Amino acid sequence: MPRKRLKHFEEIVERFVELKNTSELMMDLAYSSVLLNSRELAEDVQRLEDHMDKLHTDFELLVLSSRFRPEEAKGFLGLIRLGVVAEKIADAAAEIAEVVLRGIEPHPVLKLAIEEAEETVTYVQVTGNSPLANKTLREARIPKETGMWVLAIRRQNKWIRPKPHTEMKPEDVLIASGYAEGEEELKKLASP
Amino acid sequence: MNHEDRVKIFLALYSISRSDLKKMPRLERIEYKPVSVRELFLEMKNLSELMIDLAYSAALFNDKELAEDIFELENRVDTLTYLLEMEIMIAARDAEDAQALAGVSKVASAADKISDAAADIAAIVTQNIGINPIVSEGFEKVEERLTRAKVVEGSILIGKQIDELDLAARMGVDIIAIRRNKDWILDPEDTERTRAGDILIARGAPSGIKEFKELVEGKRRKLED
Repeated sequence: MPRKRLKHFEEIVERFVELKNTSELMMDLAYSSVLLNSRELAEDVQRLEDHMDKLHTDFELLVLSSRFRPEEAKGFLGLIRLGVVAEKIADAAAEIAEVVLRGIEPHPVLKLAIEEAEETVTYVQVTGNSPLANKTLREARIPKETGMWVLAIRRQNKWIRPKPHTEMKPEDVLIASGYAEGEEELKKLASP
Repeated sequence: MNHEDRVKIFLALYSISRSDLKKMPRLERIEYKPVSVRELFLEMKNLSELMIDLAYSAALFNDKELAEDIFELENRVDTLTYLLEMEIMIAARDAEDAQALAGVSKVASAADKISDAAADIAAIVTQNIGINPIVSEGFEKVEERLTRAKVVEGSILIGKQIDELDLAARMGVDIIAIRRNKDWILDPEDTERTRAGDILIARGAPSGIKEFKELVEGKRRKLED
């Protein structure tokens, strides 16, 4: 395959991964915003929704500019559909966040849902001297050490959906949930 | 009008043949049973998240079995949505309740939409549309994939606790769900033991996934450190 075409496919993969991860991250954050009754998280979801619209359009344009033969069309249709679904997921996530942003006090039945009512959301920055810097989440064992659970990582303008092999870099902002005690411990760990 | 006449009119009205009628999915009648809203809500959340993960893997790796699992889970989310709506109706006593519960209902319907989206992805596989192969190959290099494998009689994993297997440290694989007959165990406890016939859904890097599958399917007889 010519190099230029190969590069084109690499770009499709890259954009698709971003689209997919953003929609999944939005879903995670949206559910957490309800369970933790957190406006901050809900606002993050809304911000991501704007970003998502742009990602989706860029992705569609890229796929459509692939110059394919008729017999290859199906495989590209599949890609377009994946993009549409990612957008659907993002829309559903935004709807969930909207419930929180409307500021309706959670009903007692949902309060039961928030069994761990004192759980909070916290944003901490990883400094260069932190033992977390350049470690993967699997190695860092943050839930074991602090009782906090990392929901998302913000790296400059990028949002990362945490996976066990995700590496934390200096200046990353970790968005985590857990009990108030854990919050202090995580802060000490991330910015000693 | 007798029953047979009604059926005839119904068939004519929607221009369907009698053999089509047999093919239509039988939808379950959902009866109210008291369930905690917390549990319903968390299960819907966990199911819809799992479904999305499974669906992308099914589409990108053209996995028909995984796609079928998603349709089954979708049915379950539908049932849960009904049950949750029923709980909401019962909980509303006055206008204030109704205001607060409308939000819960909205969240439930969004969770249902997410599970529908997962089924849309699975349909890419079952309708034989597929994904461009160069893209799925490229995807495999950068992302973890999910797999399903059935525990065969004689696999060395049988009867062992998940923490005892320590698959994460050994091969970078995590078991994220177990399908046992008709039941799904999401995010199984460390103390859960695998049984013959279980279908394990796991996530991990391609090399680890290969080793894991061989262990589950009895093709590899030793857990390496």
